[in-house]
Amino acid sequence: MSEPITRRKILVNYRIQASRCSDCGRTYFPPKFICNNEGRRSKMDLVDYFYHKGTLISGSVVRKPTNKFSHIGSFMSAIISFEDGNIKIPGRITDYIPPEEELDITEFIGKNVIPRFRRLYTDGHQGLIYYSSLNFSFEDDYYPYQDYVKVEHSNVSERAGIVGYGVYLPKFRIKSEDESSLGVKERTVPFVDEDATTFAVEAGKRALIHAGIDSRYVKKCFVGSESAPYAVKPCMSTVCQVLQLGEEYAGGFFSGGIDSQFACKAATDLFIDAVALVTCPTFGGEYVMIIGSDNSQAERNDPLDFTVGAGAAAFLFGKKDVIATLDYYVPYTSDTSDFYRREGQKYPKHGGRFTGEPAYFKHVVTAMKTALKLSGLTPKDFRFVVCHSPNAKFPYSACHEVGFQKDQIEPGLVVKYVGNLYSGSSPTALASVLDIADPGDRILMTSYGSGAGSESYIFTVTKEIENKRERSIPVKEQIENPHRKYVDYNTYRKWKEIGA
Amino acid sequence: MTNSLSLKIKPHAAIIGAGRTNFGEQWYKDPEKLMIEAGINALESVDFGLGRKDIQACYFGSFLYQTTNKLGLVSGYMARELGINIPMNTTEAACASGGSAFYNACIAIKSGMYNVILVGGFEKMTDRFNKIIDDLMFAADPYEFDAGFTFPSLYASMMARYIHDYGDDQRCIEALAQIACKNHHHAVNNEYAQFRREITVQDVLKSPLVADPIRLLHCSPISDGAAAVILTKPELARKYTDAPIYVIASQQATDDVSLYTRESLTGIKVTRLALKKALDEVGISMKDIQIAEVHDCFTIEEAIFLEDSGFYEKGKAWKGIYESYESFKNSKHIPYVKDGKELIVNPGGGLKADGHPVGATGIRQIHECFIQLRGEAGKHQVDKEINLALCHNIGGTGGIATLHILTRDIYE
Repeated sequence: MSEPITRRKILVNYRIQASRCSDCGRTYFPPKFICNNEGRRSKMDLVDYFYHKGTLISGSVVRKPTNKFSHIGSFMSAIISFEDGNIKIPGRITDYIPPEEELDITEFIGKNVIPRFRRLYTDGHQGLIYYSSLNFSFEDDYYPYQDYVKVEHSNVSERAGIVGYGVYLPKFRIKSEDESSLGVKERTVPFVDEDATTFAVEAGKRALIHAGIDSRYVKKCFVGSESAPYAVKPCMSTVCQVLQLGEEYAGGFFSGGIDSQFACKAATDLFIDAVALVTCPTFGGEYVMIIGSDNSQAERNDPLDFTVGAGAAAFLFGKKDVIATLDYYVPYTSDTSDFYRREGQKYPKHGGRFTGEPAYFKHVVTAMKTALKLSGLTPKDFRFVVCHSPNAKFPYSACHEVGFQKDQIEPGLVVKYVGNLYSGSSPTALASVLDIADPGDRILMTSYGSGAGSESYIFTVTKEIENKRERSIPVKEQIENPHRKYVDYNTYRKWKEIGA
Repeated sequence: MTNSLSLKIKPHAAIIGAGRTNFGEQWYKDPEKLMIEAGINALESVDFGLGRKDIQACYFGSFLYQTTNKLGLVSGYMARELGINIPMNTTEAACASGGSAFYNACIAIKSGMYNVILVGGFEKMTDRFNKIIDDLMFAADPYEFDAGFTFPSLYASMMARYIHDYGDDQRCIEALAQIACKNHHHAVNNEYAQFRREITVQDVLKSPLVADPIRLLHCSPISDGAAAVILTKPELARKYTDAPIYVIASQQATDDVSLYTRESLTGIKVTRLALKKALDEVGISMKDIQIAEVHDCFTIEEAIFLEDSGFYEKGKAWKGIYESYESFKNSKHIPYVKDGKELIVNPGGGLKADGHPVGATGIRQIHECFIQLRGEAGKHQVDKEINLALCHNIGGTGGIATLHILTRDIYE
């Protein structure tokens, strides 16, 4: 597929775009600009079904796929009806592995499905990667349906902070088999069609739903990742196009942003910048979205390979209906080569035990202690403390060293169940404590990125958090989701490498 | 002659010769050579003789030649192979490329512009090995491709919905397998057919899954082959043969290329539209048809045709198929029966067993009806007097259909 064809298809595929006759209401997918009922050029409005729920009306298990899809193996393709048959579209069922024996498709007819933004196929290792939202998962499976309701804001804070967040953890998991995983009991595994970009979109979508804000008012988006599918071409522009961040104009959007890179703190480093932007009159926008997303990379059988997970967390910053104000910020950086990946290399290298004391602990503990000193607070003033979590032992030891107790540390140690999410690690830990935080609670968050640096943030939770809670999908709920599915090591490697 | 119909229309054209190649794996022949082999066979079949120089125009149908064999400008290849420099046109209409070429040729004859036309269809599929699975999706839309669909899985979606809506019965599952068994049975004595062996219902139901609920033996095969017929004006036909076959209806209808946008998953609108126009054109009904070449790319399509044509009521074809097969499975040809009326479908094995070199199929259907109506089908000749035959050629999953009705004896 050529680049211009790809661009044309993106406009339809990312949001399931259809056209609707303004006279008779008949709707067409793919969109067309002449209504059959009129027989002449009609006024057609564009509509999309990205946040809609569909119904499977028939399908098949494709056992002998086209070469483009052969990497997936067997899968279900289906015809999906929206709005009781107003439009029908074809889609691939994702997050679903059909059995080897014949599947009775008739039992799936009538099931509700939810659009999912996923990778389709690529033009080889050097060509484009194609994405689409014409993929669906079953509503009664792992991924719950959420309506996107835009809520009028009720108050404006003096101090900016978090207005919403969303975490996306894939359905699939792998269990740890031995002690080499440093307290990581199980880890998230990307499905065969997922990568850092698809995670970022899912997390961003959930953050928008949680915040209840209109995506048009998000004027900047940063995506931090060290496993971005392209060396040059941002995840951010894909996230922007799918989630329609900023005012739309001619198929593009009046918003900006970049992909950022600083190992595992690529996203969190920008929290302070987000706060600065939304309080800067020149910015002219209301919200900034920051996403940490990684299909965490590790070479086969490297020690990292037994701790890495996959997923993303997105945070929206602004001044309206803030759920947690950002009160203090302490960065700390040094040129410490503990973990790195050269251009063109597939997997990172690391300095083994050197990644511990002189790298992780030095930076994390320094930032934490300085934040306490700067704020005049003590560990007792905090309900929760969260850190970047390459495993379960490092963050626990660092927090303990600074004076935090188990009940303050444990709630954020989700690494035990999701693995090291790299750029998504400390943001996911933050989300997991926000899920259960009460108004007035203080949270100390410290990220770490190899290379090396840390920053600590102190947040204070507001009462607004309670108004938005029903629109979130808590991290714990995802961790314990009964539909999560375990895969073996070879499957994990195969899927991870396809999306690497 | 037994036919007592009074046909109200003058024929569009007359067929005076027909030829074809074997269908199957043709490892040693290029597509244009296959086409010429079929064309020369058609020329040589003309009873009173016809030479290449007598042909005034050619109409070819083919689907994937540009992809499978990197060919373009078919006319130029055929002009070189035939050594003639006449007008030639090529039609692409997916699996209905042959039927559409024939439809266009009938219009050309009827226009009065030409006296003698060669119509051919060809396809060379095996050169692509498994890449042909991707290639065939040119006959679907890109959204279906991007949803992971393959051609079998699109038809499987029809089959699943049909079973869901009408066939919650083991006999329905068996009936959809019996169609394949019946067509294999018909092909056993067809010297050109790709599969000349019997298969059982159990063979079908135990064959590998391709796209649930479609299994390998529900599918027509990947084939190479070509077929050709010679058309002339009806009034000139007896100059070339004492037994011309007349084209008395020639219709085409179109619908959305995409299965998902169509009104129904259990019916093919283009079949209903084109068939109604074809029957009305002649002033007959479906019950007058004695043999039908039906586009059984997958067995579900033959079942759906039996309903779209009105031969069986909507949702009840599987019962008719099941009962007919059980009653006649030991006969030379296994007819479908409704109220005592018999219809033999795909007497040479259809796409399923004769083979399905996509662009050749529409012309192969005409060839089959030509030899059956003339009593020249040899060992697979139907054992009854027939005078009305129908050819049903579908493109894609129902984006286009051509319907032709052929007869031997016309009664004014």
